[in-house]
Amino acid sequence: MSLTILDAPEARFPLRLGIENKRIRELFHNATRQQWNPATEIAWDELHPEQYDDAHLRAARMYWSRRAWGEYGAISESPALQIRFCQEHCVPDMALFFSIRSQEEARHAEVCWRMAEALGGYFEEPAATAFQGSVATHGIRKMALDPTISLEGTIAALVCAAEEIAFDVFRHLIDITVNPVARHVTRMILRDEVRHCAFGWAYMEQRMPQLTADEREGVRQAVITMIEKVELNGYHSSWLAPETPASSAEVEVDRLTWEAGLGATTEELEKPVFLKSIAVMRERMAADWGLEIPMFRHRKFAAPF
Amino acid sequence: MQTSPHATSMPVERRFPLELQKADDDIRALYETAKKAHWNPQTDIAWSAHGLAGVDRDTLDAARRVWSRRAWVEFTGMAETPALLIRFCLEMNRESDPKYFLAVRNTEEAWHVECFHRYAEACGGYVERPATAAWEPVFNRTLYRDALDAEVSIDAYVAAHCAFVDSLELALATAWLESAREPLARAILARCVGDYERHARFGMMYARRRAAAMDEALRGRVATALQRHVEQVEFAGYHCVGLSTEIDASAEAADLARVAAAGLGAVGADEEIAIFRRCVARTRDAFATLGLALPPIAHRHLGEF
Repeated sequence: MSLTILDAPEARFPLRLGIENKRIRELFHNATRQQWNPATEIAWDELHPEQYDDAHLRAARMYWSRRAWGEYGAISESPALQIRFCQEHCVPDMALFFSIRSQEEARHAEVCWRMAEALGGYFEEPAATAFQGSVATHGIRKMALDPTISLEGTIAALVCAAEEIAFDVFRHLIDITVNPVARHVTRMILRDEVRHCAFGWAYMEQRMPQLTADEREGVRQAVITMIEKVELNGYHSSWLAPETPASSAEVEVDRLTWEAGLGATTEELEKPVFLKSIAVMRERMAADWGLEIPMFRHRKFAAPF
Repeated sequence: MQTSPHATSMPVERRFPLELQKADDDIRALYETAKKAHWNPQTDIAWSAHGLAGVDRDTLDAARRVWSRRAWVEFTGMAETPALLIRFCLEMNRESDPKYFLAVRNTEEAWHVECFHRYAEACGGYVERPATAAWEPVFNRTLYRDALDAEVSIDAYVAAHCAFVDSLELALATAWLESAREPLARAILARCVGDYERHARFGMMYARRRAAAMDEALRGRVATALQRHVEQVEFAGYHCVGLSTEIDASAEAADLARVAAAGLGAVGADEEIAIFRRCVARTRDAFATLGLALPPIAHRHLGEF
């Protein structure tokens, strides 16, 4: 069994608690101001599930259940990063911010679960076991606890790459979602995700100038791995998952949910958003960090992107 | 990296089926209450309306040491609560309600940390470490490791660290509030007590929920966990300096006396011990109703608890 950060002795002193990264502390304060409650702040009676036929309702239930599983991953895995922040004496603003970030992820899981329930019932697992591999984990817990994997690489991969793509897709969903409750839920999640993404860039802005060439290369490789092994495996977008009967069924779930205006998108609509997101991320990492992210390939795209 | 004698073994997650529905009415209600009771340290505390201007320098110095120590204690939750949240997610068939609740609890702990730090600053400056190095191991206990260690029963952990410790923190903070005359200290402690009440209730609720299904061996582990915690952590002076059996706490006790006399939110060391004694007795009685027999615990100088 390999050693993790849990196996090192704790040495919390000197315990710095003042503001050391002003932008991250402001994100913590903004998040505190912008708390919301899925139980009371969504007008659930405006959902009107009776407007939809069984096939569309069933698809939407599965779609929102899948969203809940994804958000749950951030409850089950990402808090490991907060342990790492404490153990490695990161600037105190990070642990404070992450405490509220995890609460927001719990809130997102709750609101997605409520949405599935309001549509007729939450599903506790994918319809086919084969799809579990695509949605079960992004591996962040293991990375966060592994002292040989750099924190900068993990944050760059999880936040500045994966969450940035998720953010762009969410913004796109607000534009195309017709049902007012589904749109409201999406907008509320997006409001939190803005801060989650900003945290990553604020942290990396502080850390990148302090990294060695090898460490910078580690960051680059972590981002590439996240895109190739997680995002292009369908963690956020089912049409990118390996083509199996299970993933095809999930793609159909998305199409039906989108057709009903209940929150999903389709391969055709999402492709340009995804491409632009990758391109913007690549440009920003080159401009801000001096990192060259290579072009990626995937069977769904005719050319490297 | 220095390591512990063995690599910590964490449970292996099996995410699906993923239950997110309400499993415990009381704990879910506590979560809903916590969301509604959210507050904002920036705007809900009148930071400028303090009564510290006429306080003498020696008393302010004592106060900044006392409130800094509180921040160190509260900071434990910055790593421990995320670890416990992950542990609940790793365990098979654990309810969603504690996961949601712990996500909110951690944010509240972050607010407390920030408030305690800020009060210490208002008194003349936060102190980053104990005056003597002997106190440091008292805080460096890697509780986050215990929370994630598969060899530690999660039920035993919750009973010791949530049911008992959170009840003790509530009892202490309530006493500090009752003795506080300075308005800023009162405002901070009033907010914290509101949060601590929920934290303590969660611990007892969960212990009650689980106790009925415990076999004799697990009941024994719960009792042993609490006994060990009291002997190894509390009797080291972690919460109540006067309980310390190894370290001369006369300087810390003198600080408490001075801060208490000035009405800056403290009680004397002897009064803290009395609160501790009552808390142990209450916990013993509460556990007895659950069929959990806590053995007598002997303090080297103060006799049996």
